Order: sequence, then C-alpha cells, then structure tokens
Amino acid sequence: MEKDIREDIAWAKINGDVLKSLENPRKLYWVIIALALAAFGVGVACEVYQYNTGMGVANLDNPHVWGLYIATFIFWIGMSHSGTLLSAILHLMHADWRKPIYRFAEAMTTFSLMTAGLFVLVHIGRLWQFYYSLPYPNERGIWPNFQSPLLWDAMAIFTYLSSSVIFLYVGMIPDLAICRDHLHPGWRKKLYTLLSLGWEGTDRQWRNFRVTYLTVACFLIPLAVSVHSIVASDFAMSQQPGWHVTSFAPYFVAGALYSGCAAIITLFIILRYVFKFEEYMTLPILKKTVRLTFAIAMVWTYLNAIEFASVWYGHDVASKDVLIQKMVGPYAYAWWGMIFCGSIVPLVLAFKRFQTNIPVLLVISLLLNLGMWLERWMIVSPTFSHGYYPWTWDHDQWPSWVQWGMVFGSFGWFTLLFMIFCKVFPSVSMYEVKEMVYHRSLHSKKGDTAEQGAH
Amino acid sequence: MSVTNLLDDWAKFRHPHPVDDKPHDPYKWAMAIDLDACSGCNACSVACYAENNIPVVGKDKFLHGQSMHWMRIERYWDEDGRDFPDQGVQFLPMMCQQCEAAPCETVCPVAATNHTSDGLNSQIYNRCIGSRYCSANCPFKVRYFNWYDYPTTDDVWPAEMTQQLNPDVSVRGKGVMEKCTFCVQRLHEAKVVAKGEGRIVREGEVQTACQQVCPTNAISFGNLMDPDAKVHQQWQAQQVELDKDKQAKDENEGGSELRGYRILEELRPYPSVMYLERVRESAI
Amino acid sequence: MMDSGFDRRDFLKVLGWGGAAVALSGCGNTSVEDGKETVVSYSEPADYVIPSIGVYYNSTCAQCDAGCSINGRVREGRVLKLEGNPNSTVNRGKMCGLGQAGVQHHYNPDRVREPLLRTGNQGQTISWEDAYKLIAEKTQGVSGDQIAFLSGGVSGHLKVLLGNYLDSLSCKNHFVYEAIAPGVARAANKKSYGVAMPRFSINKAKVVLSFGADFLGSWVSPVHFSQQYAQFRKGVDGQRGVLVQVEPKMTLTGANADRWVAIRPGTEGVLALGIINALGTATGDIAAAVKAYDRDRVSEETGVPAGQIDKIAAMLKLHSPSLVLAGSAAEGYEHGSQNAAAINLLNHVLGNVGKTVEMTEDMPFPQMSPETGNTAALTSLNNGLAASKYKVLFNFAANPVFTASGAMNFKENMAKADFKVAFAHYLDETALQADLVLPLDSPLEDWGTQVPEYLATCAQINIQQPLMEKLHANTRGMGDILLSMLKQRQPDDYNGYEDYYGYLRSAVLSVKDALGGASVDDETFWNRTLSGGIIKFEGSVNKLSANASAAGLKLPSHSEAGGDYPLRLIPGVTASMRDGRHANQPWLQESPDPLTTIVWDSWVEIHPKKAAELSIAEGDIVEVTSKTGSIKAQAYLFPGIHPEAISVPLGRGHEAMGRYAKGYGVNPFQILDAVFDKETGELAMHETRVKISKTGQRVIVVKDEGAAGGQQMGKKIAVRVSSDDVDLSEEV
Repeated sequence: MEKDIREDIAWAKINGDVLKSLENPRKLYWVIIALALAAFGVGVACEVYQYNTGMGVANLDNPHVWGLYIATFIFWIGMSHSGTLLSAILHLMHADWRKPIYRFAEAMTTFSLMTAGLFVLVHIGRLWQFYYSLPYPNERGIWPNFQSPLLWDAMAIFTYLSSSVIFLYVGMIPDLAICRDHLHPGWRKKLYTLLSLGWEGTDRQWRNFRVTYLTVACFLIPLAVSVHSIVASDFAMSQQPGWHVTSFAPYFVAGALYSGCAAIITLFIILRYVFKFEEYMTLPILKKTVRLTFAIAMVWTYLNAIEFASVWYGHDVASKDVLIQKMVGPYAYAWWGMIFCGSIVPLVLAFKRFQTNIPVLLVISLLLNLGMWLERWMIVSPTFSHGYYPWTWDHDQWPSWVQWGMVFGSFGWFTLLFMIFCKVFPSVSMYEVKEMVYHRSLHSKKGDTAEQGAH
Repeated sequence: MSVTNLLDDWAKFRHPHPVDDKPHDPYKWAMAIDLDACSGCNACSVACYAENNIPVVGKDKFLHGQSMHWMRIERYWDEDGRDFPDQGVQFLPMMCQQCEAAPCETVCPVAATNHTSDGLNSQIYNRCIGSRYCSANCPFKVRYFNWYDYPTTDDVWPAEMTQQLNPDVSVRGKGVMEKCTFCVQRLHEAKVVAKGEGRIVREGEVQTACQQVCPTNAISFGNLMDPDAKVHQQWQAQQVELDKDKQAKDENEGGSELRGYRILEELRPYPSVMYLERVRESAI
Repeated sequence: MMDSGFDRRDFLKVLGWGGAAVALSGCGNTSVEDGKETVVSYSEPADYVIPSIGVYYNSTCAQCDAGCSINGRVREGRVLKLEGNPNSTVNRGKMCGLGQAGVQHHYNPDRVREPLLRTGNQGQTISWEDAYKLIAEKTQGVSGDQIAFLSGGVSGHLKVLLGNYLDSLSCKNHFVYEAIAPGVARAANKKSYGVAMPRFSINKAKVVLSFGADFLGSWVSPVHFSQQYAQFRKGVDGQRGVLVQVEPKMTLTGANADRWVAIRPGTEGVLALGIINALGTATGDIAAAVKAYDRDRVSEETGVPAGQIDKIAAMLKLHSPSLVLAGSAAEGYEHGSQNAAAINLLNHVLGNVGKTVEMTEDMPFPQMSPETGNTAALTSLNNGLAASKYKVLFNFAANPVFTASGAMNFKENMAKADFKVAFAHYLDETALQADLVLPLDSPLEDWGTQVPEYLATCAQINIQQPLMEKLHANTRGMGDILLSMLKQRQPDDYNGYEDYYGYLRSAVLSVKDALGGASVDDETFWNRTLSGGIIKFEGSVNKLSANASAAGLKLPSHSEAGGDYPLRLIPGVTASMRDGRHANQPWLQESPDPLTTIVWDSWVEIHPKKAAELSIAEGDIVEVTSKTGSIKAQAYLFPGIHPEAISVPLGRGHEAMGRYAKGYGVNPFQILDAVFDKETGELAMHETRVKISKTGQRVIVVKDEGAAGGQQMGKKIAVRVSSDDVDLSEEV
C-alpha cells in the first residue's frame, strides 16, 4: 500500500521545499493576479453601478427579491467549511493525513468568508447603512432584531471569520518562525518576525500551543456547524414553500462540507503542480480526500432524496408544486444540472481508477462545485417564482449581467486573496508535516524493531 | 441602550400576536372587503397612488415586475373549463393584510417592521436597510421595494408633479421597502384631533384613501374593538375571529352559509383583512 | 372673504417648492445641509393658510362629463388630492380612478404654457394680445358660414358664452363632437321614452339586463351607477339583485355579472325581441312584431343557448321591477337604432317605465343644459372641410385628428382650412395641426359651471372653482378667452365684466331669487354657492311616454362573416383611457386594465379557441387589418369575447400629447370603417370587419398578472359562492 508520505524526508528538505514556494513568483503568477484583479474589477464596476442606480439593475423584482447574491453568499459560506473540516474535525479524529493540506484549506476558509461577507453588503438595498444590523450604541436606543435569522447570520459569520483568522494564524506561528529564521532579510523578515511573536520552539511554548490549537479547534467545529445551520435557517425559519424544511440545517452543512472538499481537491491539484509539492500532497492523501468527498456526496444526495420524498408524499401542496416546478419549469436545466453534478458525477469517485487520476479529478471537482453553486441558486430562486400566491408567480425574471458580474467578480476576489496568501505564507504546514513524517518513521521503526524483536 | 431597554422593547413590539393577555386597546384597525360589491374599477389603487406618493415606474420597469402598487386588483377566471366566463370574473383587492402574527416582522434584521399597539404592521423607512427578507417571507407578496431612486428618476415626478406629493407621507428613496399602511398618516391625524378632545377616534371619523374613493363602498375600515364600527359588526356577523387560524363556523359540516373569510388563514399570519365571498345567482 | 380689495388670487398663493421639498426629504435622500432643497419659511403665510392643515374646496370633476362633485384637499396653496364631495347626489363622496388622476392632468409637465403660433414646422411663442388680434383679423374677412367651431360637449355658462361668441361671428357652424357617445341610444330613447337620457334606477331594480351598457366602467355616469349597483346587490326587500350582461366583448360591468352572455355581435336587438317573445306577455303590435322571434330562431341567430333565453325570461318575469339597458355594444351597428329600439321596448313590456326608467326634471335654465356631442357632428364637419367650405376652424375639447376614423382623412381635410385655432391643454395631434394654439387653464385652476347630461337625482348645476392659483402664468380659462374675444367684438355688452369669474358671479346672482337666495345678500349667497359646489333644483317630474310601439322596428337578419375580413373589430372602451384624452396621465397608464391587467400598451383580445385555430399565442404581435387601415399589437388570449370578434382598446396610440402618451400602444380609431347608423348617422363603431395575421414577432406582455394568469391553483383566494349556499340575511 502506498504511503501517505515518505518517512525519510529530512527536516531541512521539508523546510526548503515549502519555503521555495515563497520565492519570487514566475510570470504566470502575475498573469493570474492580473486576471483575478480584472475579474474583481468587473465585480466592483457592477456594484458601483448598482449602488448608484438601485437594486433594480440586478433584475430583481417582486416577488423575486433575492437572487444570485444570496445564492453565491451561501455558496461561499459553504466553501468555507473545507478548512474547518480538515483543520478542526480531522484534527480531533487524529487523521494525520490532513497535515500537509489543511493549511491552504484553512486559508480557503478565511478567504471564502471574506468573500461571502461582500455579498451580504451588496445584497442589501441601503449598503451604506449596513451597520444598523450591528448592536452598537446609538442615540435612538435601538437594538437590532434578534429574532431575525439574517441577524444571526451577521453575528455568526462575524464570529466564524474572526475565529477562523485566529485559528489560521495561531496554527501558522511555528511556520512563521521557520520563515523568519530561514528567509533573507527584507520585508519578509520583518513581517515574519512580527507575526511569529517571538516563537522559539521551547517545550513550554509547544505545550501552550497544543492546548490553544485544540481549544480553538473544539470551539470552531460547533461554530462552523452552527454558522451554516444559521444560514440554513434563513430559509428554514421562513414559511415559504420549498424553504420550510426541517432538514435544511444538516442539508446545508452537508452541502458545505461537500463543496469545501471539492474545492480542496481543486486547489490540491493546482498547488501540487505549481509548487511541486508532490512529496507532501501525495496521491494517497488525494485519494483519501477524494473518498471523503465521495462519502459526503452520498450524504448530501441522501439528504436531498429525503427532502424530495417528504415533499412528494406530504400534504404540503404548495411545496410539492415548487418541487415540480424545479423539475419541469423554467429552472429545470439548472436543477437537473445540479442533480447531475451533485449526485451523478461523484459516482465516478467510487472507482479506484479515478481516485488518483489528476485531470479527471480536476474536472470533477470543478463540476461538483458547479453543482453546489446551482444547488444554492435552486434553493433561493424557484420558491420566489412560484410561491404561495399565484398572482405573483413570475417565471420570466432572470438575473441581469450586474448579478453575474458580481458573482464572477467574487471569484476574482477570492483568487486574488489566495494568490497573495500563497506567496506570503507557507501553504503547507511545515511543522505538521515534520510531525507526520516523525510519527510515520517512529511507526515503521517500531515495526522494524518488532520484526527484529521477533527474530 | 441597555438590556432593560431591550427587554422593554421586546415586550412591546415583539410580543406574539394575537394574545389574550395583551388585547388591543383601544384600537385594532381592521378592514372588510365585500367582493360582491367590488367592481374591479381600480379607483382604490389610483387613490392610493395619490395619497401615498407612490411612484409610477413606467412600462419597462413594470415589465420587470418592479411596479409599486400597494393596492393591487387581481382578476381571476373560473376554472371549470367553460368556453366563456359565464359568471363573470372575480376581482380581489389585495394589499398588506396587517397580519397580527406577521411573518415579515420577525425576520427583519434591523427591526424596521414591527407591530404597533393599534394593530398595524409598521414599516419604518429610515431604519430599513433593504435586506428584503420581509418581502421574501410575506405569503401574499404585498411588499414593494424601491428598486430605483424614484425621486431622482426622470419622468417619475417631473417639475410641477412634485407639487402633488402628499406632505404627510415620506417619499421613499432607493433601497427601502414599502407597503400599505392603512393610511397611517390619516389615522395619526384623526388620533391627534380626538386626543385634543379627550376621546378616542370614533367610527366614521377616519377613512383610508381606498375606502373613501370606492364607488361601491366595498371597503369598510375601522376599529375592530369599537362595537359601533361597521367593520366590527361585519366581522361579528360573519363569525370571523382575529386570533383563530381556523374559524369555528368552518368546522361545521358542509361549511357555513356565511361569506366572511381570510386569505391563506391556514398559514397563521392572522390577517386583519376579512373578505366577503362574491355571490353568483344560481337561478341564472 | 370676497371683498373687491382682496381677491381670491391673494388668498391662495402657490408657495412653490417648499412643501414638495419637505416631502422629498423622507429617507435621507436630500438634505438641507447639502443645500439640495429650498426651504421656504412659513413665518408669513397667506391668510387662511395654516401650514400642515389642509383646506378643502368643492369643485366639479372634469375628467368626464358625469359631473361628479369633488372636494380638493389643498395644503399650502397646492391641491394635493381630490376626494368626492359627500353632498353631491351624483357621486356622494365617491370617485373613480379617472377622477383621481385629475391632479395629473393639472400638474402635467407637458402642458402648453404659452400661446404658440405656427411658422413652418415650428411653434413660436406669441403674446395673448397678438393672438387675439390675429383671430380678429382672420375672422374679419370671412362670413359666418365660412367659420366652423368644433368642440366637445359643452354646458353651463361656457355654452352660453360660446353661443354668444359664435353669434357675434354670425357663425351657425358649431359642431359638438364626442368620439364615444351614446348618440344612437339618445335618439332611440327620445323615441321610446320621450327624453334622450331618462333616469335609470339600478338600485330599485331586482334584475338588470344590460345589453353592453358598461355602467360600472365608462357608461354615462359610472360613479353614480356604481353606488346604485352596491345598493342593488344588497337588494330590494332583502333580495339581492341579479345582473345579466349581454355583449360580444366583456366590459367591466360584464365582469361583475351573475350571468355574462356572449352574443354574436349585432344581434342584440334580435335577442331583445326573442326575450319579449319568451315572456309571452306582450300584446297588440308588439306581440305581432315578436311572433317570428321564437327561441330557437333567436338562439340560432344570436348564438345564445335557448335554455339561457328561457332562464333570462323566467327571471325577468319573476322579479319586478327590472331594468333593461342599451349600451354601446348594441348601438354600434348600421342598425344600431333598431337594436336600441328593440331593447327599449323590453322595458315597456316589462312595465319598468315609470319604475326604474323615469323622466328627469326639467332644467329651469335650459340654455345651460348640455349640448351633447356625437360622431355625426364630425362627419358633417369633415364633409364641409373636404369641400373647402370652412376658412377658419376652431377646435376646443376635441382631438379629431386622433379619434376620427382613418377613412375620413380628417387631417388632410383640416389642412384645407386657412386658419386653425386650437384651445388646448396639450400639444395633442389636433393642436399640432393648428396654426394657433392657445393654452388653457386646467379644470383645477379655472371657474365654470357644468350641467351633466345625465341628471342623477335632480336637475342641477355644478360649480367649478379653482383649487389653487394658476400653475403657469400664461394659460387662460376658456371662459376668459371667450370673454376677451367677445369684448373685442361687442365691447358695450361685455366690458362690464372684468373676467369670466365676474361674468359667472353676476350671472348667478342675477337669478339669485330663483335659486333660493332671496333671503340673503349677494355676498353670502355667492359664497354659499361656491362652498356647496352644487345648485340643485327641486322640480316636478313628468311622466315618461308609456306609449310603446313596435312600429318601424326592422332588424336585419344576421349576415355571415367571411370573405377577406372574417372577424369583427370591437373597439374597447376602458374606464380610464376612453377616447384617449387621458393617456398622458401616468397613474392611468400604469393602472392595470381590470380585465387583462395590461399596462402602458395596447392589445388584441382574442378568444382562446380562435387563437388556437390561428396558432396565436400570448404576446405574438398580430396585424389587424380593415379596409381602412391596419395596426399591429400584441395578442392576448381572452375568454370574455365572442370567437367571431376581436377587441383592441381605444385611447392609446398617441403620436403626440406628451411623454406619457406618445408612443404607447396603437390607435384603433384609425382603422374604423366609415359605416354609420342608418337612422342617426352616428359612426357604427362595431361594424368594422378585420382580418388578423401573425407578424412573426413576439413580446412579453407587460401586465400585472403573473405566470398563473387568472388561476388560483386550487387555493382559496378569491372565493365565489352560489346564491343557494349563502345566507345574506344576517349581514350588516
């Protein structure tokens, strides 16, 4: 059986390989940064237009009051669960194969949350007064409305973002110390010196570190679950047909883990190739990630099937109507696309042959995420177009280029942040890889010793 | 900004309605619309535009579903497959039902929509940040969002037409949600006058714009708590109770021979508008 | 209040933007700090203006000629909203949407503000003095026969003054034209009842059988009839009234009927005779006349099932009194007069005359009674213009270039007149053809008296008074214009009047005693009249002619449709658009048509079966072609229309008249064939035959109803209950 990682990699090599990724970037890097900036620029231009003219330019209307902004917001929140899953959940499960890959996953979480936050802002009609939703002392003595799931969203995302940043940062401290110690003087040296908070690697520091990391991890897991459950409750707590579903919270969390894993696969493949991290982001680890993704895909499919079944066999005529509309109405292409990408495509991952086939996995992971994006759209829009009140049914309104432009721009923003991260911070956790190698070598030595002992 | 303040507000404005421990006193504004009298003429809708500074959005925006009519007249056909609509059509004036347990009130993140002590669902324009969750949650879809900045949009209120604007009603800018308020500005004025005389508003002293203009008197509006009020008597005669999601009269076998009902009552928003079924002569 | 030293104009002052600016600051949209608004201090308001307190003035609505009294809410010198005057027996405090839009007529940004003289293709501003001089000049060298004055219906003192002005010109060519008018019914009523417009009492009837009379929408006096209808539904003796509407295209009233009967266009008279036959109560020559109209024959000709005819007859027989009305659907044929006569006969046979069809009072001042407009007048004028008979043409309250049938070539004929003057609020199609356009005050800023054609409860004169100071400095009231011109021609007679206000005041005061003002002084009486808003006359009512005879009744047999033009075009009259004079009022454009919910555009109503036959879907742009011309509009599948007919609404399709009217919709007036009622010469509006063809284009119909159309999808939203299943006795 292939090993997750070789046990005989020298510490110096690990340092060297990872630090190499922080070297001055090649031309391709700048091209991608430029493209990301351009995409983001498109988004910014759309928002400026919308801000000045009004939400109407997004082709939103009555009853379609929400559109791609909310759908993409949920998508990005969902994507953010990748890091938490890998960093925190797998950490608690002692699945050490997560070690080479959790760093970039955690970064992904942070940047996804930052992107999702943008959508909250662009989606409200009076962006310049978004702070009304924050409980700040004001002369009118008004608190925001704590009954509102949207407000829980605001609180939850804020907490999650700050916790994720802390988690990412704290987890990086030993690595930042390595960077500080090995990189040439310049702005980097200054930055790492500042950020590594004087880490010396003493025993006491390590012990404190372990405790802190574990604590934040334990805190982060329920937080992540609650964040996406709260996002789910934006819909579940409403009585609109197609939304008022009790399984929405676990469904959303499953979907989040799903898209997070798919994104991890995508970035895994890219980083492995670009930074030549084949030693660390090995195929066995990829395989494990793929299998995890497959498992989550099946959970998601199951939860979907449960939701459809309960609607289909239930008495809620309005909800059944909405479901039928999704299947055969104006959104049919998108809905079936979601089913295909979300439930059919992952079946490929069950076959060993494809579990380490890089090109196939790249395409599949992108398709999976497309499916997940479509899923969010299919949750948001069809209910509006076909709600309780037939007079207001509207099958004709589609998002305008302003909405698409901002969705597109969000990917640019995310890419920009991620690209910068990769060049400033080590995208593989050096100390954790060393731990992993050490434990593997210990284990194999034990095995050798045991063998020897046997003789 | 204190916790006491939070709890106080909560008790007042976030109290689930309708309840017996906090009955409406002295006002609960309600409406009854007789669908047999409603002729579908749309006078109420136009009067509402005039009274409440509602912008005319124009053909293009109307196509995009961005119209602003707080009061809309719906028209339904019979659905029994006949060649012709032999028994006419069904008109239904629909506006904010001022639900006692309004699905919109709970979900506004900034508390821009609340329930007032006189039984209205209030919309506070300057608190609204435009998240539109209220509209998303409204089963009747009677909330209208300002998708554009109508005061500064060409041809909405060109010079001189601005002089028609009712100074008692805010003109809304972009990003704000609006809906029927039961002409709260008129209610307020009536209350001020009554207060000056040391009493409450009497039946007939205040009319909503739609009620005032309706040529067939299909709309009656008033204080449901006032036994002299026509709307009180109508609700009583029709045996429709505000705080029930299923009326006792409907429990009887074969339903009831009374005409009063509320729309989407089973969703339990407890609307404050009762409709009287349209009657069609069977002998013809 | 009305002392000579302090006139009304000081009393009401327009305070400009102050109030409007306050309203606009609602949402932090503009701010005083930014200097974006001008706040006018109220430290010295005009007398009687208390900021934030509304003052109410009575006047008369001029959006149609029903003569509803309005009560204008005025704040800080601006009229904000119109309400109904509770003291009017016409509308009793109620209004229609059209009336509400009166403020948009007044504040419309596209009103003409200055007298305009055409030079080439441009209009240049001239002064009123020059304008009057020009008119005097142009009317100098011509004889009275060569002058024509086209106006809409006129009444009250304006009619008198106009008559005097035309007399001063020795002109007898006053053409009173209304594009949509019950001209045929008037003539038929005169014959059947002895009066052109008797008093109908819907609220006293137990059954109303209406042949296309859209009394809830646009027929005669809709607000008044709507109130009667409400009482009718509550019932006489606790019995709810039953409405049966017979028409080929569903009107608003038809939409409210207990039974809507789709009848083959043109056969209304046949049905009426068939019902008389089915009643079996007629005698004498009437019985003889209807003998041949047995139910099977009638059913065949009209397309109404025989069983239905029986039911209607049974209902009419059982419940008395009833009321039978002849509306535009019945009138609009070559044999329209015959249709109307047959329908009126039904009232006689049923014994409704004297009960629900009654005589009106005599008008004590007949010179103020309205001169009602009809379409035959335009035909006469057109013939005269075509023959180059008229050198000078005046146009007031009419837009014939828009409303005349294309077959009349009115625009070309109008150009034959040397000098054309238009008294107008807007540069509409007709004003654009004029040489001189004189801008009018809006009805909300002008004085006047009005007598409605339909006297709802008594003879009356409605008072019109300004609700605010003039918006534009250089517009004039029509009365003032006529007075100025009369002063030029007959200074001795008219110089005594300072202005039209003065003329009205002295005219009213001169008959003060007859009006019940003997006991008070002039000033008090005048103020009382103004604040009341209506002068009512109690009078005795004569009996209507109870002589009904079927003499001369001859209905044509139904002609098969076919040939090149297989369908009949029914021009739809909607309550808001009517003949198009209100198309530039945006509330009305945006107010969805009650039946189709379409806004801002025209449409072609086609029965779904017919549409399926022709493979037409909703939104397909179809071309509707008559012998006279063609128009293109979006198709709308509408079950409320006879499959042999299609309907396009009137009123849209303006090519001028301001930003809210121009370019929206198409104008079916243009393609009406020049076919006329044989007896009265009225344009037979429903005789145009057309063919339709798809153009290949398709649009999304801009309408209020959503994707479910008019379906409730099994939900209990708008509920209808059968009269058998409901107990109305306990109702409030």
